[in-house]
Amino acid sequence: MQTLNYRFPARGVATHPIHVGVVASGDLEILLEPPGDDGDGVVVRVRTSVDGFDTVWHDVLERFFTRTPLAGRWELNDFGATPGVVNLRLRQASEAAGTAS
Amino acid sequence: MSELLAGQTWQELLARPSFIELDALGRADALLDPGSVRVLAGPFDRLESPWLEPQGITPQADDGTVVARGTVDGRPVVVTAIEQGFLGGGTGEVSGAKISQALLLAAEDSRVGTPTAAVILFETGGVRLQEANLGLNAVAEICSAVLDLRPHAPVIGVVAGTVGSFGGMSIAAGLCTRLIVTPQARIGLNGPAVIEQEGGVDEFDSRDHTLIWAVDGGGQRHATGLADVLVPDDSNLLRAAVVDAIRAGVPEPGRHRSERLDVLASRLAVYDPATAPSPGDLPALWGGSYEPVPASSQPAAAKASDPPATRGRSWLAALSRGATVEAIIPSVLSATTPDARYLAVVPDPDNRFYRARQGQVGLTESLALAQAVHDVIEADRSAERRAIVAVVDLPSQAYGRYEEMAGLHQAMAATTDAYHAARVAGHPVVAVVVGSALSGGFLTHGLQANQILALDDPGVEIHAMHQAAAARITLRTVDELDELAKTIIPMSYDVKNWAKLGFCDGLLTVSNADDPTPADVELVGAAITEAVRRARVGPRDLSNRLDSDAAATTRKASRRVRDVLARQWNPGS
Repeated sequence: MQTLNYRFPARGVATHPIHVGVVASGDLEILLEPPGDDGDGVVVRVRTSVDGFDTVWHDVLERFFTRTPLAGRWELNDFGATPGVVNLRLRQASEAAGTAS
Repeated sequence: MSELLAGQTWQELLARPSFIELDALGRADALLDPGSVRVLAGPFDRLESPWLEPQGITPQADDGTVVARGTVDGRPVVVTAIEQGFLGGGTGEVSGAKISQALLLAAEDSRVGTPTAAVILFETGGVRLQEANLGLNAVAEICSAVLDLRPHAPVIGVVAGTVGSFGGMSIAAGLCTRLIVTPQARIGLNGPAVIEQEGGVDEFDSRDHTLIWAVDGGGQRHATGLADVLVPDDSNLLRAAVVDAIRAGVPEPGRHRSERLDVLASRLAVYDPATAPSPGDLPALWGGSYEPVPASSQPAAAKASDPPATRGRSWLAALSRGATVEAIIPSVLSATTPDARYLAVVPDPDNRFYRARQGQVGLTESLALAQAVHDVIEADRSAERRAIVAVVDLPSQAYGRYEEMAGLHQAMAATTDAYHAARVAGHPVVAVVVGSALSGGFLTHGLQANQILALDDPGVEIHAMHQAAAARITLRTVDELDELAKTIIPMSYDVKNWAKLGFCDGLLTVSNADDPTPADVELVGAAITEAVRRARVGPRDLSNRLDSDAAATTRKASRRVRDVLARQWNPGS
């Protein structure tokens, strides 16, 4: 298991907590909360069961947050999701954050 | 696959809103009245398991169990839904505490005038082996909490699939007021892979799916009276079945399946592995309702072999100090003194259930223990409640195909129910672990006690599963398990570490655990007397396992679950 931390610049802000997904094989859960004391950008912590994919994670997250720069604390608990699944879950979370709570 | 239609046409099957395809929250949502759902101890409370990250396993923020309050048909209900995707739905410290504490809060409300039913969505492979002994104890606490709530409000079990219900949690399923299943569901005590590991592929071929569903499947459990309602995988129909079950309320005392020792006894009297019954024979043999079956003229087995000397046998005789040791059945011994009844499960080389010959807790052992405990409760109804001392030395539960066919989980539920009934009625129940205390065997005979004592001896082993089987199930090697057990104390096979988990009421050092000396007997006897005294003045539930000094350190996560759920139980607080 590996814990990875990333930061990206942001424009919009998540206004309420969002939870999507399950830590099931090939899947991940995402907890998104409004920005805290650690700044108003995108703050991501990834805990993944698969070691050694730091670069892939960085690239997947950078591409997503370049298009969707939504500030907040993003926690990803991953159980071997592919980049495609990660992208779908990130979109699901950001879309839910865009709707009224 | 017409059996999966369960009465539906294929058009209905295609148009149905599937329940199985939903995650845990989706399932809770599908059962509760629209708009009434309130999730307690949810992901943002971050009650994740403290034991997984150190083992390199990604935790889930709600530990894979959803607790949701709401109404069903306008009545207050709490749903506890296990997420089958997360670690196979295994019961860990946190996920287990969420279920038991939710049930206890429902019981509290029900006792003071707001009957609050519970629905448990079982999708679990059993105890989460990465948290072994804490998971095993969590299951004991869940069973106890089901029994605490059941007299006041219905506890509805739902097994939808596809994981099904296995391990100790199936004992909890066997305690439910009503059990609802789908054709995709499975219910069993030992899962197929574990039986194959322990008993070989001839005993159970875990790759044979037809066999698995013939033995454990929802259809078979329903056809043999071990489940009450069989519905197809359709959210609307499952909700309708839950509504019906809640409307039906609480049955009269004595009518729960786990209280029907008469039925269990009559079923086992006509069931013999020597005749090699097949799963298909059972519905005709036993019938689909859980009512006594007529006796057959089956001859009693002739006794031949001398029983081997074991710790259980020696300690039972020594501790009961000269009281006559009586064999309720050859594998269950009892000795009754003026103030206590001692019970032990021992090897019986001639046991007709050949998978229970080495002292495992099997079908007939579960029944005999339950009867013995109920006899004491009955005899002391208007007298001082005598103590019940479970002398524990058992290799495990019986891992066998015939055991699973008959529903070992249901037999064990009867024993669990009996020990709980004794404890609640005011009998001090004390478990003394003198040898191995493994898994479902210990859940059945020992873990419902008010007080648990154990000998501090290398021959004493308390765990959720034999190491070889645990290695197979968790895809690790035995060496890896040994290494992990050094730092993850609930995984340790060393009784000294078990004693740190919060539910050991005495670790006793003796000079000869195999053949106790008079001084050893004196020491353990005095510890039992003291434990009985503590049990008489202490709580009759299992709360002391969370309030002990050791629990304050080791079970911090469980205690947080208790606090968070209590705080969030009522809205707006």
